[in-house]
Amino acid sequence: MIEVKGLTKRYGDRLAVDHLSFTAKPGEVLGLLGPNGAGKTTTMRMLTGYLPPTEGSASIAGYDILEDSMEARRRVGYLPERVPLYPDMTVRGYVTFWARLRGIRSPRKHVNAALERVHLMDRQNQLVRNLSKGLRQRLGLAQALVHNPAVIILDEPTIGIDPQQVIEVRESVRALGKEHTVLFSTHILSEAEHVCDRVLIINKGRVIAQGKPADLRRQMEPKTQLYVVVGGASGKAARQLLSAIPGVLAVERDGDGYSLTVEGDRDLRGEVSSHVMQAGYTLLEIRQATTSLEDIFLEIVGKSR
Amino acid sequence: MNTLTIFRREVEQYFTTPFAWLIAAAVLLLTGLLFNQNLSQAARGATIVDPAFIPSVFSFALVFFAPLLTMRLLAEERREGTMELLLTSPVDEGSIVLGKFLGAWFYFTLLLALTLVYQIILLSISQPDIGHSLCAYIGIWLYGGATLAVGTLFSALTENQIVSAFLSMIALMLLWLGDSVGQVIANLEVARFVRTLTLQGHYSTSFAAGLFRGEDVAFYAGIIVVLLFLTMRLVASNRWR
Repeated sequence: MIEVKGLTKRYGDRLAVDHLSFTAKPGEVLGLLGPNGAGKTTTMRMLTGYLPPTEGSASIAGYDILEDSMEARRRVGYLPERVPLYPDMTVRGYVTFWARLRGIRSPRKHVNAALERVHLMDRQNQLVRNLSKGLRQRLGLAQALVHNPAVIILDEPTIGIDPQQVIEVRESVRALGKEHTVLFSTHILSEAEHVCDRVLIINKGRVIAQGKPADLRRQMEPKTQLYVVVGGASGKAARQLLSAIPGVLAVERDGDGYSLTVEGDRDLRGEVSSHVMQAGYTLLEIRQATTSLEDIFLEIVGKSR
Repeated sequence: MNTLTIFRREVEQYFTTPFAWLIAAAVLLLTGLLFNQNLSQAARGATIVDPAFIPSVFSFALVFFAPLLTMRLLAEERREGTMELLLTSPVDEGSIVLGKFLGAWFYFTLLLALTLVYQIILLSISQPDIGHSLCAYIGIWLYGGATLAVGTLFSALTENQIVSAFLSMIALMLLWLGDSVGQVIANLEVARFVRTLTLQGHYSTSFAAGLFRGEDVAFYAGIIVVLLFLTMRLVASNRWR
């Protein structure tokens, strides 16, 4: 498991990670979601022992990353954003090398298991340089899990590979989450939603929202918006009419028409049109504006700026 | 254990690329030509065959050769991003540097061993001074280790292999030329001091002359230890960038 308390990284005047605290339990996939430059990679680098934190502490499977660095590192599998490769090694040689470095004396079984897991067994004797990008990503994953670590840290593992492979990698991550603690970063909201049990949204090094993806979605889901253009009514009359409709929370002037904020996820199109007709006006336009998850995410991130 | 793992990968890397084989072939070709010339001169009675001839060829060649062998060592790890993974593995920086350096030294040792074929040829046609040759070989082996340590240090300084090779060539050239400077300085004390700081100064007048002195061994060993320690600090400093 991962425990992070007040973790901070300062580069000169710039705070890359600002007193970050969270925990990830065994058997959990925790997502770090945030735009580029939010501090995801820096956080991961501190947890893996690559960068020393400026302040705060963290532990991996109970071992402090500074006090017991070697023990902590032994229990981490890490896949950096750019998959680190030795192009002149074979697939098997590469995974064996990392298994040995992580202290596995006779790595044969471990290597077989890792290669099976990422479906690279049939390419074990190929040179790494000849692998396609998606296969390299899988090889990177094999390297991260070969020593069967308690914690697996994956930095944007789905970047730059084709959609089919993205799905495969996501499935692998989900499967890993059953036995390991997985910390997974992404800047794609829907991906975090599919893969993670819990999501931390971070921006400028700080957590700005967290929870289960479904809860977050509910929190973030704005009330439905309706756009209505009414013909034959003065501005005041139209506004009065529209605000009087049950379920309408707010009415705002928007171009030629009005933007209505509607309670919950009710569909008020029928009510709105009958009210307008009954009042003797004409309905020139009505449409439901749905906000995509991506927009909501951008909005939340934008607010924290 | 970790040192051994890194050493093994390094040696395998030399031999899975054509690079290592080409260099071995080129070294044999060059030393073979020079040996042949030396032998034919001796046959005409112009000179005698110098037992330290082949090792001494290396003393200058290493100025260019050592940087080529070592430029890759740490620069490539940084460029490919594997350094990040190495530094997050349960491995200390010392093992990384030592494993890599020993890999390069091992490859150099193999190359040097290939040239023993000339000693065998000499043995079959004359009675060379074996002790003298052996001494020169030990000397150039240590000398080679020191030049490879210089190359390893510069490989840790930059992630650009060409820059790394260039800088270590300059450094080695200075260490090599320092000897010539020492030879023309009029003040004997200063001259002696300058020569004790150069790579050549601990080889050309001792090992190459069949003289095995503790101070020369200590000089090369000292250079290797100090430079590898600096390299280790440089690798550790990757964490602070």
